[in-house]
Amino acid sequence: MDKTKKYERIWILIIMIYLLIPLAITMVYSMFQKWTKVLPEKFSLSGYGAVFSDKLFLYAVIRSIVMCIIPIAVTTVIVLLALFVAFVYFPGLKKFIQMICMIPYSIQGVILSVSILSFYVSVNNIFSNRYMMLCGAYCVIILPYMFQGIYNGMNAIEMSTLMESAQMLGAGGMYAFFRVIVPNIATSIFVSALLAMGIIFGDYVLVRNLTGTAFENMQIYLYQIMKTDSVKASAVFVIIMMITFCITAAVFSLKGKERIGHHKKRGRK
Amino acid sequence: MTRKKYGYLLALLPFFVVALMYEIIPLSMVLIKSFLPDEGGSFTLVNYKIIFTKLLYQRSIYNSMKISLISSLAGILIAVIGAKAAHAIKGRGKVSFMLILNMVSNFAGIPLAFAYMILLGNEGVLVHMGHYLGIASLEKFQLYTSFGMSIVYIYFQIPLATLLLIPSFDALKKEWSESAQLLGGTHSLYWRKIAIPVLMPEILGTFCILFANALAAYATVYALMMSDFPLLPVEIASNYVGEIQTRPGLGGALSVVMMSIIAVMITLSNILIKKLQKGVSRRG
Repeated sequence: MDKTKKYERIWILIIMIYLLIPLAITMVYSMFQKWTKVLPEKFSLSGYGAVFSDKLFLYAVIRSIVMCIIPIAVTTVIVLLALFVAFVYFPGLKKFIQMICMIPYSIQGVILSVSILSFYVSVNNIFSNRYMMLCGAYCVIILPYMFQGIYNGMNAIEMSTLMESAQMLGAGGMYAFFRVIVPNIATSIFVSALLAMGIIFGDYVLVRNLTGTAFENMQIYLYQIMKTDSVKASAVFVIIMMITFCITAAVFSLKGKERIGHHKKRGRK
Repeated sequence: MTRKKYGYLLALLPFFVVALMYEIIPLSMVLIKSFLPDEGGSFTLVNYKIIFTKLLYQRSIYNSMKISLISSLAGILIAVIGAKAAHAIKGRGKVSFMLILNMVSNFAGIPLAFAYMILLGNEGVLVHMGHYLGIASLEKFQLYTSFGMSIVYIYFQIPLATLLLIPSFDALKKEWSESAQLLGGTHSLYWRKIAIPVLMPEILGTFCILFANALAAYATVYALMMSDFPLLPVEIASNYVGEIQTRPGLGGALSVVMMSIIAVMITLSNILIKKLQKGVSRRG
């Protein structure tokens, strides 16, 4: 048995190395000026210096952050409200809401972006604003992740019991929902928001198809720079990688905690 | 009370407004426009006719299916090995494996394309290394071909597939492998005859997700090849945001073709799963 375990460990190691090679090599590449033989030569952090002194980079970071916050906030609220009504008052609607939320998962970026573009491009009002379209598209593309997280969270707590006791104590429906239910599933909401952040942060398809290169977020910035300056671009790459890693690590540890929390609850019963 | 209950339907309104405005209506319009000629006029199948007669579109469908199939097959194979290993080792090794998978799964599109350019592009680090060390397969590696594309695609398929499969492998019951051993079966016999057949529906389902994922992938290939490499998503986008005139009818028809390919794939795998389930009784 131990021998097979050893083989399994080797497999895991091979896959991990394979997955980390592109990241590691690009990281090393970003810190040297020349790499045309086996080992890189001339250590230098000039790539990072160039990135951090570039105002366009700063703007790209700000754009990325702003474009994360608005759609995530909007989608969190609308999914919360919809699922709350479905869970407490109209359970029959759950399946329907789920279906709508899962469509973007199977359609994915390209078709969604071109469909929104061709529908709104000629209407000539606020909705034909490119940023408005992008915002709407992001709201929809993160629906599957927001839905799944919030749905699982609501499933894990006993919503109707909590609501009933809150209402018996005199709280109104909405009040009870925001003061009792939402705090109880805060971790689930936060985890799905982080996942959604990862999606929006890594997006290139929607932003390119809907705004061209007018809205230069981190991905567009990297794309523009990688054609001209590969060392600077690799520095941007490392920064994007670090941010992605932080988001992932946060999701990972929160999910772990959540799982332990649920186990404890079940144990107490 | 009932009137109050229906009052709560108002809370559903924002969700449905957003879903209608940015999902349902635009997608329906794509479907409708695919049956309207771009020159104006009424119902027609001319857009579909163009797709199935013009070489460019035939080739893009062929390329897309080829790369998606190759990368999904390779991805699922490695993922089965990885998920099986993760299931076996447990503990801290598994946690760090999962962490890396989670991180890498977020790592696609432009950054991934860039990393592969650094690695295996014409002036890539590994290409230089191969030249210096005399490894011909590295030195002569061609990233900007359908083979090179498949290699990049396989990279982003592995973490997605492994993450999807690990829970299914973890759901395997310990008693089964113990009973198999008690009855004198070897470790590999257990995997071949019991575990893998039981997991087949999940493996096929994951394969479908990989296939759809590869078929729709756009950023990676665009970053590497611009629009020079005919693939379905590239052709779809170029009919809407091209430098030339936009052709929503043709683009819509291409989108419908792409969605149909995915639908066919899912149907096929469902049929296969049903057939398999006749032979194997599933766990409760």
